Amino acid sequence: MAFYILKRLGVMLAVLTVTSILAFLLLHLSGDPAATMAGDGASPEDVRVIRDAYGFDRPLPVQYLDWVGGLFQGDFGRSYYLRTDVAELLPERLAVTATLGVAALAFALVLSITLGVAAALRPNTIIDRFALWLAVAGQAMPSFLVAIGLMYVFGVWLRVLPISGGDTWQHFILPVVALGYYATPSIMRLTRSGMMEALQSDHVRTARAYGLSPWRVVIRHALRHAIAPIVSIAAVEMGFMLGGSIIVESVFSLKGIGYLAWESIQRADIQVIQAILLVIAAAYAVLTLAADLLNAALDPRIRVS
Amino acid sequence: MFARAGLTGALLLSVSTAPLMAGKADDTFTWTTANEIGSADIYFANLRETLIVTYAMCDSLIYRDPLTDAYEPLLATSWEWTDATTMDVTLREGVTFHDGTAFGPEDVAYTLNFVADPANESQTQQLTGWIDTVEVTGPNSVRIHAKSPTPAALEYMTGTMPIFPEGHYDNAPEVPGADGTQRRDNGAVTPVCTGPYEMTTFEPGEGLTLEKNEGYFADSPKGTPQIGTIIFRTIKDPETQIAELVTGGVDWIWGVPTENVDMLAAMDGVEVVAAPTLRMSFLELDAAGRSGEDAPTTDVRVRQAIAHAIDREAIVENLVGDGSRVLPSICAPAQFGCETDVKQYDYDPEKARALLAEAGYEDGLSLPFWSYRDRQYAEAILNYLREVGITADLNFVQWGALRPALAGGEVELGNLTWGSNGVLDVSASTSYYFDGGEMDYARDADVTRWLEETNVETDPEARKALYSRALNRIADEAYKVPLFLYARTYGFNDAFDYPITDDELAHFYLGSWK
Repeated sequence: MAFYILKRLGVMLAVLTVTSILAFLLLHLSGDPAATMAGDGASPEDVRVIRDAYGFDRPLPVQYLDWVGGLFQGDFGRSYYLRTDVAELLPERLAVTATLGVAALAFALVLSITLGVAAALRPNTIIDRFALWLAVAGQAMPSFLVAIGLMYVFGVWLRVLPISGGDTWQHFILPVVALGYYATPSIMRLTRSGMMEALQSDHVRTARAYGLSPWRVVIRHALRHAIAPIVSIAAVEMGFMLGGSIIVESVFSLKGIGYLAWESIQRADIQVIQAILLVIAAAYAVLTLAADLLNAALDPRIRVS
Repeated sequence: MFARAGLTGALLLSVSTAPLMAGKADDTFTWTTANEIGSADIYFANLRETLIVTYAMCDSLIYRDPLTDAYEPLLATSWEWTDATTMDVTLREGVTFHDGTAFGPEDVAYTLNFVADPANESQTQQLTGWIDTVEVTGPNSVRIHAKSPTPAALEYMTGTMPIFPEGHYDNAPEVPGADGTQRRDNGAVTPVCTGPYEMTTFEPGEGLTLEKNEGYFADSPKGTPQIGTIIFRTIKDPETQIAELVTGGVDWIWGVPTENVDMLAAMDGVEVVAAPTLRMSFLELDAAGRSGEDAPTTDVRVRQAIAHAIDREAIVENLVGDGSRVLPSICAPAQFGCETDVKQYDYDPEKARALLAEAGYEDGLSLPFWSYRDRQYAEAILNYLREVGITADLNFVQWGALRPALAGGEVELGNLTWGSNGVLDVSASTSYYFDGGEMDYARDADVTRWLEETNVETDPEARKALYSRALNRIADEAYKVPLFLYARTYGFNDAFDYPITDDELAHFYLGSWK
């Protein structure tokens, strides 16, 4: 197990190194950052002032090493635009996105596992068809459409929930549903197929033969067997939510990391974008590692292979 | 996009209840745009929202009345050019900053000397770079020394040049500089001003709050502030902005999408107004052959053909919408010196084809076409060009990619825009593109010389004559093709009363509840 963990950590470090190089190169080769920072109303002198101040005329390797060197000292740089240290900025934005992501994943897991189990237990019934319809609708509708639909039903028509901002927990309800709904179809389908397979497996048949209660058979034996791929996909979905919550955060004006990334790209706030890319890559890597370890704990065959 | 607009329209039209008037009820006016404000200091933030906030919380030496465009005394009570480069300014007495300190000549000298020094990294060099030094000459007077005669100085000295207390930037945070040494981040200092509103909260990227300055001096041309609290919030999504406006969450939005204008205007409690701005859209043509000596655009007949090929009226009417106008000349008509009585190129595809044939392109020609803003307008232009035989491949890029291409002389044909930073003088528009520098694709020595003369000529009539000569030459030679002036569509709580002006600045300090 120790070797397995070390091997996974090594892969994680390699991914982060490559990500940092790619993030750095892509940002610096996509145009003159000083020109973007200065805006299209800036004079050549304004652009020169910014280029000098931020050292964009230095060789790229020097700029990269400078940045990486800072990272090892906990210095993520300073936001040119927001005038704050990135290390101070990220935690509060991450907290918003993490809250949104965790709640959305919880919402998606509860909804999709419940529906998936129900559909597997009653195949070809109205419950099954409803679950499949929900999955198809979830896959077909882009998250911004769900977000706007929720906003107008609960915010404009019924006026029971706030539309934008993140001041109270009520502000999170609509974004959580919009983001979570997007993750529901894949988990639901996986749960349904996994449960159907598990319910027909020998050990479940044996459990039934022992006379265990139906619920115990379903939860303890079948669902446990089906849960491994769900854990993996949940980790991927969580990573997706961290990086891909841009649209939902934008629609509901939630000041999370996705929103910050979108805004920072538009104004070429390079230090912020680089840090966000790295943090999201690290989150992906950690979540994938956590899923692998969890799966290894649940299924010893994974460790051996 | 259409799905979103349709959904927005359908759902909003079905709202039967009138919007909440929470703003008036609690004397709190909330406005929103899609931009986050990173710095509230206009010297370090090239953003219109920052300029709007600056007008509300800060005073400059001179005030330009946004309705009459007349210059009026603000922190200066009088000013006089004693020679071509020296201005003596008498200052208002009895004014205090928001932190309670008294305003005086040392504050003026400190602020202007600080921001004029490029070493301090102010990002409004275009507006402050003309100042050489400012010296205190008495208990309520200063003397401004310009580097050279600067006729547009009064314009620069209006709202884009606020005055802060002496030593304001002393506590700017130190941050690592590019060369490894420490530098000061002056833009991180929260402004302290003398204006009608005081900033009470500022969270970079989140928003800010302004409270009425009860001690604002009585005879300010900005008047006495009426609204108690003004809040700025960033809301990125236009549909969310509209939803917040109709449900009373915010009182003011701008940039209402064209497809939502009629629907929003039909709603109770909401007023929708479209107004022109100073931002102009135009075609850049490489007349000087910077992109290659054999560039087709070096031939005046090709440039004139391109001008004749585009139906500007149709673009304004069908695409840009209410409030926009066809641009007659390469400057905003509201700017001082903008000569609009110049050669016009009417929409005439036949004439365009004839001119192209005359230039040797009877079988058409192909040009790369650069653009960075409003792709739909660029595509409309491409279609018009295609109709007369000009095939243009669209390079739609970010400004960060287009600017180096422009500066490097790579652009044969491009759709550019320019907002003049809200400055009502042609020196902020035309001069920028004909100064012989990296952005000049005409390289007409006469035009450059005439425009340089306007920058040092202090007689207004002589300046106008020089601008007229330059703008006529530019039009005759079709160095650029002026297209249209952008418009802004404002949507706001109709209980709020304030003037909408052509300078694209929301003067909220002039607002009141009806």
